[in-house]
Amino acid sequence: MRGRFAAATGALVVDTFRESLSRKIFWGFFGCSTVLMLIFLLVLNIDIVEGGVAAVKLFGQDFTGGQGVEVQQIVNAVLGGVSVFLFTAGLFFSVFASAGLIPTVFEPGRIELLLSKPVSRPHLLFGKFLGTLAVIGCNLFYLVFGVWVILGLKTGIWQVGFLASALFAVYAFAVLLTIVLFVAVISQSAVLATMVTYFVMLLSGIFSQHENLGPYFNSQWPRDLVTGLYYVFPKIPDIGNMARLAFLGREIETWMPLVTSSLFAAVMLAASVFVFRRKDC
Amino acid sequence: MSAAAPVIQTEGLTKHFQRFYSRRVVRAVNGISLKVEPGTAFGLLGPNGSGKTTFIKMLLSSIVPTAGSARLFGKDCQQPEARRKVGYLPENHRFPTYNTGRQMLHFYAALSGSGRDERVRRAGELLERVGLADWADVRIGKYSKGMLQRLGLAQALMHRPSLVMLDEPGDGVDPVGRRMIRDILHELRQQGTTIFLNSHLLAEVELFCDEVAIIRRGELALTGRINQLTAGSGYHLSSPDAAQGALNELQEKTASIASNNGMAHLHFSDRDALNEGIDILRKHESQIEEVRRQRSTLEDVFMRTIEESKEER
Repeated sequence: MRGRFAAATGALVVDTFRESLSRKIFWGFFGCSTVLMLIFLLVLNIDIVEGGVAAVKLFGQDFTGGQGVEVQQIVNAVLGGVSVFLFTAGLFFSVFASAGLIPTVFEPGRIELLLSKPVSRPHLLFGKFLGTLAVIGCNLFYLVFGVWVILGLKTGIWQVGFLASALFAVYAFAVLLTIVLFVAVISQSAVLATMVTYFVMLLSGIFSQHENLGPYFNSQWPRDLVTGLYYVFPKIPDIGNMARLAFLGREIETWMPLVTSSLFAAVMLAASVFVFRRKDC
Repeated sequence: MSAAAPVIQTEGLTKHFQRFYSRRVVRAVNGISLKVEPGTAFGLLGPNGSGKTTFIKMLLSSIVPTAGSARLFGKDCQQPEARRKVGYLPENHRFPTYNTGRQMLHFYAALSGSGRDERVRRAGELLERVGLADWADVRIGKYSKGMLQRLGLAQALMHRPSLVMLDEPGDGVDPVGRRMIRDILHELRQQGTTIFLNSHLLAEVELFCDEVAIIRRGELALTGRINQLTAGSGYHLSSPDAAQGALNELQEKTASIASNNGMAHLHFSDRDALNEGIDILRKHESQIEEVRRQRSTLEDVFMRTIEESKEER
């Protein structure tokens, strides 16, 4: 029984990979990551003299201003920049690249055949979700690992903690993917799923500033509302910040963003299953 | 599951569609109770929009019933396990075009729970059987409609199902392909596989199926064994030299008497009347050319049923 479950899940994951390869999604993402790494390799020049940085040149411009800087500081700054990229543009691309993979399952003529197999509806959603996560996860790991290797080779500093950024990024993507899944189950529209997910990302960014937004409101209730929504919505910027703290080796003061985002994802998944179980296909 | 459990059993199966913003209710299927025994070739007939596909989709859990129950092999059809031994070829299927024929067979068979070795062996066999061995590793985006239909049939058979449900299997297939599909279905019948066929090709259904159900406007209008449904009321007898005296005597015994090029055609309403008629003809030393049971075609039965249902409304 367990073997059959695994075989069916594996088939759904492999099928999602094939679909992403056929639609050039995987290779597109892979290509963008590779180009990014090549740019990184070619334009970032770090001259190290006796353990210290003599010069950091980006596109030929010296960023040290002639002052001595610790190699570690430079590595942290660069990795911090990559991390910010991961949690903004990286996730943006990931959602864009993956949003089409889930709604295609619900196409008439395809879903009937899938549902005629001895696979439960939640299992079908789970397999497709896992497949999409695997496609994007591979690419995010490739990007993070590539940047880590390049920087390690250039500086001799191997910041192992940075690899955890990929885990945090995949986690953040998984949370966003639950939104894609939910909208796809309801609407079967990749475009709508993408739009809604971007909107949630935008709101997540706004709500993460809830403490700074207070002075802009005249009364208390909008402040309370924004603060409340901050706790309800996924906390992508906060998760990005946790990733940064993790690779810098600093203490993560609160795991609340991870916990509440997990709750949000769990609710989205449960809602998707609830709707899909009652849906006529 | 007990050995005697029907392969398909529905009790008052009903599906009404209603959009949340509309009061209009579409009664697609209305209280259909049906039983299909193991090893039967069963045909589901009905005009377009009569609810056949909705009925099949409820059996395969694509559509959630509004009321009633449906069981496959004695299990509630909403349970995935009930579909373990079912092979299905949907109408208007859209197989993912990024797969090759072989990959597609592997994918669906894996979902059905077939092991890898069995999949490899079975895919080779079936691709050969449906005439697609040379196309096995070509992406199915390049397949013609007929090829897709044959591949779809192979897909339905990958895990050696006990019940094969086919929704318009001959759709878009040329006569050679259709013959191939028919031969495969005959082989399956000989192996004891239950076949549930939804087709508009009444002549094929009549040739192939043991039982049919006719659905009209979501309701079961008629069900039964084809040989009983097409058995007409009465017997036909022809005689090349029926004596006038015999014909006079037969006036009261026959439902009708007609003559064509010297051949008398007599129609008897039942077996007793026929036997009396034969006695009279033999008494008058008239020859008997042919005696046969009057039969209707399935098309006659279908049209009659649809017309009667219309009148009842």
